[in-house]
Order: sequence, then C-alpha cells, then structure tokens
Amino acid sequence: MVDRVVKRFGGVTAVNKVSLSLEAGRIYGLIGPKGSGKTTLFNCITGVDQADEGQIRFKGQRIDGLKPHQIFHQGIGRTFQVIRVFPELTALENLLVVTTDDYAAARARAEDLLRFVKLERLANEYAGNLSYGQQKLVEFVRVLMTDPELVLLDEPAAGVNRTLLNELLDAVRTLRDRGKTVLLVEHDMKVVMGLCETVFVLDHGEKLTEGPPGVIQTDERVIEAYFGR
Amino acid sequence: MARWLPAGLLVLLVLLALYPMHGTGYGIRTMLQLFMWIALAQSWNLISGLTGYVSFGHVAFFGMGAYTAGILIGTLGWPWLLACLAGGVMAMVLALVIGWPCLRLKGPYFAIAMLGLNEVLRVIVSYYEGLTGGGNGLSLPTLHASVPIYYAMGLVALSVTALTYVIVTSRFGLRLMTIREDEVAAEAMGIDTFRYKLYAFLLSAVGPGIVGGLAARDQGYIEPTSVFPLITTITMIVMALFGGKGTIWGPVLGAVLLFTFQELVWARFIYLHQLLFGAIIITVVLLMPRGILGVLQQKYNLPRTI
Repeated sequence: MVDRVVKRFGGVTAVNKVSLSLEAGRIYGLIGPKGSGKTTLFNCITGVDQADEGQIRFKGQRIDGLKPHQIFHQGIGRTFQVIRVFPELTALENLLVVTTDDYAAARARAEDLLRFVKLERLANEYAGNLSYGQQKLVEFVRVLMTDPELVLLDEPAAGVNRTLLNELLDAVRTLRDRGKTVLLVEHDMKVVMGLCETVFVLDHGEKLTEGPPGVIQTDERVIEAYFGR
Repeated sequence: MARWLPAGLLVLLVLLALYPMHGTGYGIRTMLQLFMWIALAQSWNLISGLTGYVSFGHVAFFGMGAYTAGILIGTLGWPWLLACLAGGVMAMVLALVIGWPCLRLKGPYFAIAMLGLNEVLRVIVSYYEGLTGGGNGLSLPTLHASVPIYYAMGLVALSVTALTYVIVTSRFGLRLMTIREDEVAAEAMGIDTFRYKLYAFLLSAVGPGIVGGLAARDQGYIEPTSVFPLITTITMIVMALFGGKGTIWGPVLGAVLLFTFQELVWARFIYLHQLLFGAIIITVVLLMPRGILGVLQQKYNLPRTI
C-alpha cells in the first residue's frame, strides 16, 4: 500500500524508500527511535506532507497527491502525536463537525461513540476543559465518526493513565474485530507487543525490518537501533 | 435569561421601528450610523471571529459598495435601494476574486494581503477619474431619504445578526470554528477548510457592500479617502473584539457601547479620542482577549447563543 515512499526536508531525507503493506482487519505497529520518520510517514499517508517519490495506494487507488480532507473521506482517519481537539467546541461538537450525515443521525452516532469510551457525562463540556487522557479519547472517537477503514494512531498511549489506556486499547481491539485496520506509532513497548500483530521498524528514515512482535523483540538490529552497538 | 431574551429583543425592535415617527433628524441619522457599525462589526465577525482569519481590509467591501452604488445612482440613475443591493453583490464578487488566492495564505499573511487590497483599491478608484471622479469624488443627486435609509440600514444590521445566529447554531458554523481552533486537525477530519473559509468570506462581504452603498446615498458625496479609510476597519475590529469576537451578540454589544461612547465623549474631546481608542485596543487585547461577552460566557458558563 505504501510503496517506496521518499520524503525530504531540504537536505534531510526523513523517509527513504519505505514500503508497507497492510491487510484489512489487523493491527500494525510502527516503531523506531525518535526522528526515524514515523510521524513523517503518517503525514505522507494522510496528505499533510506530500511524498517526493513513491506511491501510496488505498483499496487499489492512488491517494498520494490528494488533500488531507479528501484522504479522510476515502476512509483513512488519524490522531495526532500532540493532541489536536477543538478546545472551544464541546466534546460532542468535536464529533459532530466531522460527518456530513443528517444532524439526528450524526448526533446519535456521536453519543454512541462517547458512551463507547465512557465520556457521555462530559459530552457538553468544552474539550479544552477535559483532562489530557480524556482529550485523547475524544480525538480517538472523533476519527471513528465516519467509520474509516484504516485508522492511524500517533502515540495513543503517551500521557494516558492506566484506566483510560485500557479503555483505549479495548476500543482498538473492538475496531479490529469489526474488520478495520489500525496502524499505530507507539513508544510504549508493552502496548506495541500486547496489541500489534505485525510491527514495522524504522531507523533513520529507512525500514529496518518487519515481523511479529516476538521476533522483532529479539532482533539484533532493532536492539542496536535503539541502544547503539 | 434565555427565556426573556427573545421577548426583550422583540420589544426593542418594535421601539426602533417606531422611532422615526418621533425622532429628530439628528437622532435618526445617529441611529442609522449605529446600525451601520453593527452591520460592519458583525460582518467582520463572520470571517474573523469565527474562522480566526483576521481581515485588516474589510473596509474595502464598504468602499466597493459605496462606489458601485454611487456610480449606478449618479451616472445611470438607478433607484438607490437597487443600487445598494448591487453594491452588496459587487462586494461579494470582490471577495471571491480576492479570497480565491488569499484564503490559501495562513495567519498574518492573510491579514496583510487584505490590508494591501484596501490600499490598492483606493489608488485604483483615484486613478480612474472617468468612472469614479477620481480624487474629486462623486456627488449624488440630492435626496432626503433619511427615514427609508434608517430602515434599510437597520434591516441590514438585523439580517447580518440573524445570519450570524443561524451560522453559529449550525454545523456549518461549528466547522468554521474548527478552522480557528486548529486548521490542520479540521483538514485531517475531512473538512474542506478552503471552501468553508471562502463561504464565510463571501457572506462577510455582502453586508459591508450594502451598507457602503447606503452610507454613500445618505451622505450624498463620496471620495476615495472617505470610503476606504483604514480607521473604519480598525473601528469594526475593535467593536467586535470589545464585545466578544466569535459570539452572536458581542459585535452588537461592542458597536452599541463604543458608538455611544464616541457620541457622548469623543465629540467633546476631538484630539483625545484617538488616544482613548488606542487605550481600549490595548486594554482589550491584554486584559480580556475574549471581549465582554466572551468573559461573561466563560465565567457563567453561558451557551453560545447568548
């Protein structure tokens, strides 16, 4: 799906000929040391950055070159490393703005989703007043408003307390069980190893290896990339 | 509060509608100017208060309306009401031409582009003497129509405010606010931010266009420096900020308070008024960037409709 993508910023090659292939109904992890190009790759897939080389295909169609809002409507949703909720909109409104369905249907769905992550009591609270973890949950379910086929999560576990984290991880598994695909960037290795079925490892913008978490964990090259020789 | 607000507004509207039967000529023209400022501040609020794209050249639409109406009335002999509506249409056309490239600019670049637009328009209008009278200005045939203009101006102020109400209480309005809150996230959540900004910009241009035409008709004489002054843009911005940008009633409140203040105090201290104006800008920006209504909304947890 992601085919030999290259992204340069000035003289720096942030992503160098990375290829990823994702199958529906699975959870994938994308790991690598800081600065290895994980978020840049996310930005290329979602149209925030334009890839300099390579192709990105989704359900057989090329999506590189499309604008972020167009890619979203193709069925790819994402969350951000640094939270990007709309602080002066309520939790409910944060979800309502996403779909173009008629109002009653959108509202019912938004309320369902807030219940899904146990935030229904806070539906009419401004998102900016919620705790960090709660905002993260709002951002997560906001993506689900249009029922996307592929969900990209950029560090979903960072800064979230254990209780909320477990809810989030359960929600991700539920998604997978409903046939959706999830690709997540995460530094918390417990989360990655417990959740993902396949893990891609990036280092210095290049794909080092990929495989099931158990194999990746013991891979010499991966250990070297994180800790040095 | 939410319950007696509609009733109070209705009473106020009836009183304002009956006012010309009892008011003095001076009173009517003062009220007419207040309506003008409400319409201008509220229109600026539509683009800048909701999407956060600060327009520093909104008076350009006012001037566009004034000259469109002025030329149609003076040269072609159109009825003034029709000419003023044409002013609104032309302002929208201008907004489309300018917004198409400029709304792709982010943050301060858009503000500066709008500032430039106004200066360019003033020069163009001064240059094409055949059409606009150039620096000599344009005189309109004498007409005593303060009362009809009072109603027309009031209707524009009311319409723009009603439009703001409809927008703020709709998902269209919420999407405009997502642009202000976080444009990258809005775009990532499937919102075509450019299209939304353009719609808001077009809607924010039509009011000033019509009002510009009405002001031209009311004054009977226009010249480039009188319809394209930067101070008009600044005044509408300060009114909206003072009352509360991004709210429905903030710009109305700001216009009423500052205009009244101006009439009562500034008329007596000609040289002091610029100073006071600057002081108000600094106070608002530093101490209450949300404006009066924004602060009240936050403090008492009021809904967005108040």
